[in-house]
Amino acid sequence: MRNQSRIAAEFLAAGKSESCPVIDMHGHYGPFHGIYFPSPNADGMLETMDRCGVSCIVCSSHTSLVDMERGNREMAEVVREHPGRFYAYRTINPNYPERAAREIVRFPDDPGFVGFKFHPSSHSYPVTGARYVPALEYANEHDLLVLSHCWGHSDTDGPKLFSKVVGKYPNITFLLGHSGYGEWEAAFAVAREFPNTYLELTAASRVSGIIARMVAEVGSEKVVFGTDLPWFDPHYGIGSVCFSRITDEDRRNILYRNAERLLAPVREVGG
Amino acid sequence: MDWFDCNCGFGIPAKPFGSVFATAAELLDELDFCGVGEALVVHIAQQFESPQTGNQLVLTEIADQPRLHPAWAILPPQTEWDVASFVDGIKRHGVGALRAYPEEDRYLLNGLTFGPLLEELVGRRIPLFVGPYWQTVADLLGDFPELTLVVVDHGNWGDDRFFRPLIDRYPRLHLDTSSYQLERGLADFVRRYGPDRLLYGSGSPNIQMGAALLTLAHADIPDAAKVAIAGENLRRLLSEVRL
Repeated sequence: MRNQSRIAAEFLAAGKSESCPVIDMHGHYGPFHGIYFPSPNADGMLETMDRCGVSCIVCSSHTSLVDMERGNREMAEVVREHPGRFYAYRTINPNYPERAAREIVRFPDDPGFVGFKFHPSSHSYPVTGARYVPALEYANEHDLLVLSHCWGHSDTDGPKLFSKVVGKYPNITFLLGHSGYGEWEAAFAVAREFPNTYLELTAASRVSGIIARMVAEVGSEKVVFGTDLPWFDPHYGIGSVCFSRITDEDRRNILYRNAERLLAPVREVGG
Repeated sequence: MDWFDCNCGFGIPAKPFGSVFATAAELLDELDFCGVGEALVVHIAQQFESPQTGNQLVLTEIADQPRLHPAWAILPPQTEWDVASFVDGIKRHGVGALRAYPEEDRYLLNGLTFGPLLEELVGRRIPLFVGPYWQTVADLLGDFPELTLVVVDHGNWGDDRFFRPLIDRYPRLHLDTSSYQLERGLADFVRRYGPDRLLYGSGSPNIQMGAALLTLAHADIPDAAKVAIAGENLRRLLSEVRL
């Protein structure tokens, strides 16, 4: 093997790295239609995380994408039972503004929630729409994260739409979930222009050469790791990072340093 | 482990999706970077230009590369090649595997179109590689249950509900691992079916070569199963071919 990365060598030898823990910024939880998951519960996910050297994961439950209140309650319970391993995003479904308003009010009630999850494609509502504004204003006021699905050429969450949103809320850290898959240059442009916007690797990491392009065009300080667990085996994405033509410093930034920095506030308050 | 990639290629695509390995040498450089010893390869022209051109290109471009082994693309014998001359070609050039691109080349991959060729493949145990067109795969195996069929590029969004009934019924059906990124997917599959039906594939140049590699290297399965999937299974299939 000509890859001289010490981190790659560690992962190849042991499946994990003592010196390079992994933080997964894009997880889910529970079963979901359309796919067979062998083990989508907390114990199964923790077992996988331990096998792959993933120290913690930030999730939104699959249920919350359908019924946000029931799903967010489910996720809060998981976080309470596994503090420090599971963190969560509170899902906002803009199709139910009154219920969404209640979820915003409830935000401080549950420790370990780091921000909001948007899935404009699933909810058929554009990220630029007015019904997201209350959650964005709350997140901006409280310095929260917003992980949003961001898929290339989508008319609800394509990367160009985010350029109309992220600049209005400078205190929010936006994670472009899937990095605008397939419309890469537009996503790179948003992450380059706005200091509060990061690229997130779920599904995108598998595209050969894309991580090296992100590092070259945006910088590894603006890329975070994610897997959609329990969808994708963490080793699949970690393997993509390890075998990209980037430096080990870049790998550390992507696999944990950037995420540590973003999660530090919630960890400091004991979330 | 002794890695033998069953699913990779090189050439210049009209619309690059990921990295571009323009030549066999560039593909070999990536294989070396990842520690992969051998590969069954196609030229991108076989899929996106024409099988006629691509089948010749893959031979000429890997002629001095003993670590790379060619697969040829098939076309209906009613329009392009008669079966006898096609089989003669694969015998002369030592082509031990075939690829079907029914969508790009616009044909029905079934007995009606390919009956005599498929009978040759069954008799000679030549594996046919095809994408995850599950209804086509089900119909094809219904007509040719002894065909050695390898479905590649499946599973990005979880195809187990499609392929498990087929794996149950058809012992010559195999799957590549290039997009089988389901959490615990490999372990769950191997526990039920054993390791012999899976072949390591990278999916390069579209997919980052290390993705499926690290996933297999640390799947929760016995080491012997990893060795089989990494390369032994493909070597076994190719050794069974009677040209």
